[in-house]
Amino acid sequence: MTEFDVMPGNKAVAYGVKLSRVEVVPIYPITPQTTIVEYIGEFIANGELEAEYIQAEGEHSAMGMAIGASLAGARAFTASSSQGVAYMHECIAQAPGYRTPIVMAVANRTLGWYWALGPDYSDIMPELNLGWIVLMVESNQECLDTVIQLYRVAEDPRVLLPAMMSLDGFYLSYSYEKVLIPDQEVVDEFLPPYVAKYPVDPTISDKWPAPGLPPALHTTYRRLFEEVLGDAKRVIKEVDEEFREIFGRGYGGLLEEYKCEGAEAVLVTMGSMTTAARRAVDRLRREGKRIGLVKLRALRPFPKEEFRRIAEEVNVIGVVDRMVLHGTGGGGVFADLKSALYSLEERPKLLNFVAGMGGDDISVEDFMAMGRKVHRVLETGRVEREVEFVEHPLPPSRGPVPMEKMPIYPSSGGCAGCGASIALRNILDVLGLNTVVINPPSCATVNYSAQVSVPWVLANYAAGPAYETGVFRAYRIKGKTGRIAVIGFSGDGGTVDIGLQALSGAAERGESMIWICYDNEAYMNTGVQRSGSTPLFSRTTSTPVGKLWRGKGQRRKNMVLIMAAHRIPYIATASIAYLPDLRRKVKRAAEITAAGRGLAYIHIQQPCPTGWYFPVDKTVEVARLAVETGAWPLLEIEEGKMRINFKPRKLKPIGEYLRLQGRFRHLTEEEIAEIQRVVEEDWRSWLELEKMGKLPWY
Amino acid sequence: MVLAKGEVSEVKGLMLRGGRSVGGRYVADWRTFRPVVDASKCRKCWLCVMYCPEGAIGRGEEGAVIDLRFCKGCGICANECPAGAIEMVREE
Repeated sequence: MTEFDVMPGNKAVAYGVKLSRVEVVPIYPITPQTTIVEYIGEFIANGELEAEYIQAEGEHSAMGMAIGASLAGARAFTASSSQGVAYMHECIAQAPGYRTPIVMAVANRTLGWYWALGPDYSDIMPELNLGWIVLMVESNQECLDTVIQLYRVAEDPRVLLPAMMSLDGFYLSYSYEKVLIPDQEVVDEFLPPYVAKYPVDPTISDKWPAPGLPPALHTTYRRLFEEVLGDAKRVIKEVDEEFREIFGRGYGGLLEEYKCEGAEAVLVTMGSMTTAARRAVDRLRREGKRIGLVKLRALRPFPKEEFRRIAEEVNVIGVVDRMVLHGTGGGGVFADLKSALYSLEERPKLLNFVAGMGGDDISVEDFMAMGRKVHRVLETGRVEREVEFVEHPLPPSRGPVPMEKMPIYPSSGGCAGCGASIALRNILDVLGLNTVVINPPSCATVNYSAQVSVPWVLANYAAGPAYETGVFRAYRIKGKTGRIAVIGFSGDGGTVDIGLQALSGAAERGESMIWICYDNEAYMNTGVQRSGSTPLFSRTTSTPVGKLWRGKGQRRKNMVLIMAAHRIPYIATASIAYLPDLRRKVKRAAEITAAGRGLAYIHIQQPCPTGWYFPVDKTVEVARLAVETGAWPLLEIEEGKMRINFKPRKLKPIGEYLRLQGRFRHLTEEEIAEIQRVVEEDWRSWLELEKMGKLPWY
Repeated sequence: MVLAKGEVSEVKGLMLRGGRSVGGRYVADWRTFRPVVDASKCRKCWLCVMYCPEGAIGRGEEGAVIDLRFCKGCGICANECPAGAIEMVREE
């Protein structure tokens, strides 16, 4: 019997992945996608899915891993959103040429420009024309079903292309609906294991997909790709039809027509907005309007023929677009549809509504208004305005409390007991009003960027130190070195993982600026996923504790030594429990960078009650215990000379630190002993380095 | 979205941050516990001022002064006060 559960769209996607018996899952967290890969992680941690789970250091790598796995013959899945998809872009462009049938879920979120978390299709827009199949879904059930369908389509030898499933962030990703979970045996029959025809595997094949072509063949192969995508239309329809026969649910193949019988006008919608549009069409029909609805499912390949058939039956089409092709005056699907219908002898009138950008809700009333406008064109035969932006006023909210100017104003939207706030307030208090903060996305962005009076520049995730370098160089050429403190303020993800390449470049070039890592030892902004700085055995949402997993299996990166390998003039660790020490280090870093001596790096441990699971009043206490137990030694290296700033006669037992935190609650005595051993080993190494006087590579 | 709205500029379509769009954030309605300072016990070490994540504590003549408009009631001040001069009291 088919099971069901009430679950968010992201979990439905994870079920689709589990039922498809995916073999390799490279991941990187980003809102609103993250919980997809968390749910998959839980399945694997509990032995419900046997798969390789790879926590990449950035989306570019995640897609690279998916391509590598697929090339080697494994069924691969990944997921992302917005900036993450954009960061993958280069690899996304490579996947079709290698004919890797990867399935990727994109939990839509607006891309770049003005940042927001809500959905529109600006994130998939740049990926549409690269040779991927792109299907849009309306419901959580469709999320689960479409993942399974897409593997069948993508792996079909007539297709063999990567496929993207686009689900609206928040509206689907986090919203709960009833979802039927098909039986594994039935899915197994529908979707047999993937057998790559030409895998990168010398034990199976002596041939593999070529990376390049001579120029003379490029046009030919582009034409062949268009033919393959044409064939894919047939395969998508076949697979959906077969799925309907077996599972009792179908989605119309490339598009679904709703109440189109006798309609003289139709609205075209896609994704989750369709549900509200259906209700509007129901009402308009009751009012006697001759209007129907077309739900576009396949954005690529675009169902040109189907739309031409529909165009022969109706006089007006109104396209509701959740993306803008800037510079064309309208939306993306509108442009596609217009070009698809242009060569018809008799064309219907076309209207375009751009709506719901950045996650703005499109209500039933909005669709009623659009439907009436479409119907009016039907009655008058005249299009007065071809493209209309459906806009809403900003809802009223409590404004900021006006205050005398200071670098950072009181309070924030952050969690109670936030350690990052303690660090940031003290840093800005030391540096003063002539400070510029460069900040890759983190919880500090969300919570503190609107609390400061000093300029705060949000940088793209992998490019924090690069943005900062640009700012520093601009000041230098304008003769302002030393007059403005330039600091990077970044979480551990933006420093030790995705930001490391840019940081390494800045350090090696000797950019004279300060980089501060506020390290809460996981990706807190996306909901506590492990980072390269997460300590051994720590429970995170991507290293859950289950039947097979015991939290993170690896030790953290040693960032002090990584930075020391660059021979930068100043490196320090600091703690929010030892504020005079922290403030002195910030001041020293400012002096050194003002003198143009090179990069100064400060790594601050910042306990996070939300992610480490301890009471909100214990933030400073936990930070102090980290230092007293040796879990977070306070040290500094100036021009190669290393000094440990806090040296207790005897380190406290690590258990005193671990026991306060829920992220370590699962630990056995043996595991605690192992952490104790690791901490002591590190502590001894620091003592030995200190004895050396000057580090040898300086 | 959590990011606050900004200030409209003279450049069409450019939204600005800073200026009057930033300031203190009123969070008094977040609290379940309220810090109460016993001035007779306060030694004016100002640790609470440095450790307060909200920057909500000031140095008063008599001792620590908490601006309750900006206090979320996390209780770090009470936990860290070496004199035990701050008590967390449940909000009514």
